[in-house]
Amino acid sequence: MDIVTPIEIECARSLRVGDQITLSGYIYTGRDAVLPRLVRMIKDKELDHRIIKLAGSVIFHTAVSQAGVGPTSSNKPEIEESLAVLSKAGVRLHLGKGKISDKTVKALQQYDSVYAVIPPVTALLQSRILSKQVIAFPEEGMEAIHLLKVSRFPAIIAAGQGVSIY
Amino acid sequence: MERYEADIRERIKMALVQAGTCFSCDKKAAYQQAVEAESNQQARWVLETILENAEIAEKTSFPLCDDTGIPHVLVEIGKERSVSGKVLEAIHLGIADGLGALPGRPMALTGDDIQRLEQSGGLAEDPAALVPAPVLLKMTEGSQLRIHVLLLGGGPAIRAKTYRLFHKHDIAVVKEEIIDWAIEAASQLGCTPCTLAIGIGRSHYEAAAYMLEAQAYGSYDQQSELEREITSRVNNSKVGALGLHGDTTVLGTFLKVGPQRASGVRIVSLRPCCCFEPRKATVML
Repeated sequence: MDIVTPIEIECARSLRVGDQITLSGYIYTGRDAVLPRLVRMIKDKELDHRIIKLAGSVIFHTAVSQAGVGPTSSNKPEIEESLAVLSKAGVRLHLGKGKISDKTVKALQQYDSVYAVIPPVTALLQSRILSKQVIAFPEEGMEAIHLLKVSRFPAIIAAGQGVSIY
Repeated sequence: MERYEADIRERIKMALVQAGTCFSCDKKAAYQQAVEAESNQQARWVLETILENAEIAEKTSFPLCDDTGIPHVLVEIGKERSVSGKVLEAIHLGIADGLGALPGRPMALTGDDIQRLEQSGGLAEDPAALVPAPVLLKMTEGSQLRIHVLLLGGGPAIRAKTYRLFHKHDIAVVKEEIIDWAIEAASQLGCTPCTLAIGIGRSHYEAAAYMLEAQAYGSYDQQSELEREITSRVNNSKVGALGLHGDTTVLGTFLKVGPQRASGVRIVSLRPCCCFEPRKATVML
């Protein structure tokens, strides 16, 4: 099943743990350094929705450098603690790797969001990135929020509808 | 720079790129066997995707993983050879050249001790600014000079462990504790299947050095009975590829046992190398 962004709520609700999917369209990147900053902006109502459109979005937990992209562990505190707020703000799919907590799984269900894991296959992913640009926090370098246009990124739904694959 | 040192520099550069972009033949074969034996559909898909990634990485000379790792160098010096400071300099320059060519991820931190510890001093933009770990030297027989280049990523470093265990004069005790450590590490790694690199020595330094040697010398098609048993037992945990369950949590175990102390304690260094590691290449001179 190829899912094209932005993702509708109905689509997110239809995804089940174990579903093998591909992702196409525009996706954001973010990890340890910027996700807590993004969360603070949301809480402080300082997010410019013309620049970062979270409704129906995907956030890929990765750095972006000349060495490509690849998932970092989503269960690092600074990343996992962002998932609930970001889901409430409209993020429909979080893309990363590793087991997330039951508390986070429940929060995803509450806000109609899912978590998918992506193999760390950098060379393959590089061949499927169509464009990339820095959107926010450029001072964070490779950890800045980037907007990637991708084609058929492979992933497996690992948590959603209150269920976890782990 | 003399021609000899220039040749070493160029070959180290090529070795680093090879380590970061190519699977060895025995690793490819181990993955193919794992695909054929895997009973879990999702895990098999992950294993196939990792193999596809390896094909693309080798074909396009692009990194297998975006965490291109910290370079580690093991130099074996034959008794009949001498190695000058210029040779060590050539190795360092070759590492920098290789990081530029790979390209490596620009992840060298700048600033003073405190800034580097809290990552507040910024990052160097040049991948070549990433200095390698201290070079490990080893004396060997003969007249050959072998230089092993390894790239060690951050994920396995988070889950690796160097600690003491009490053997109670029974190999079963040592084995069971290693298996317990390995299952815990593999379940947290994320990038499974892993390869267990294990060094056992008399101090933490020695155990970690043997763990590096285990990566450099280990082979998937030459596994000892003890290595096979550790692999099999950890695979019984069913953590599986990418933690999605299945039959392949560990692809192989590389164990190096060094000299031991007359004491009840053994120091074990265990690194759950990620699905691409050990990323290594060897230059022979």
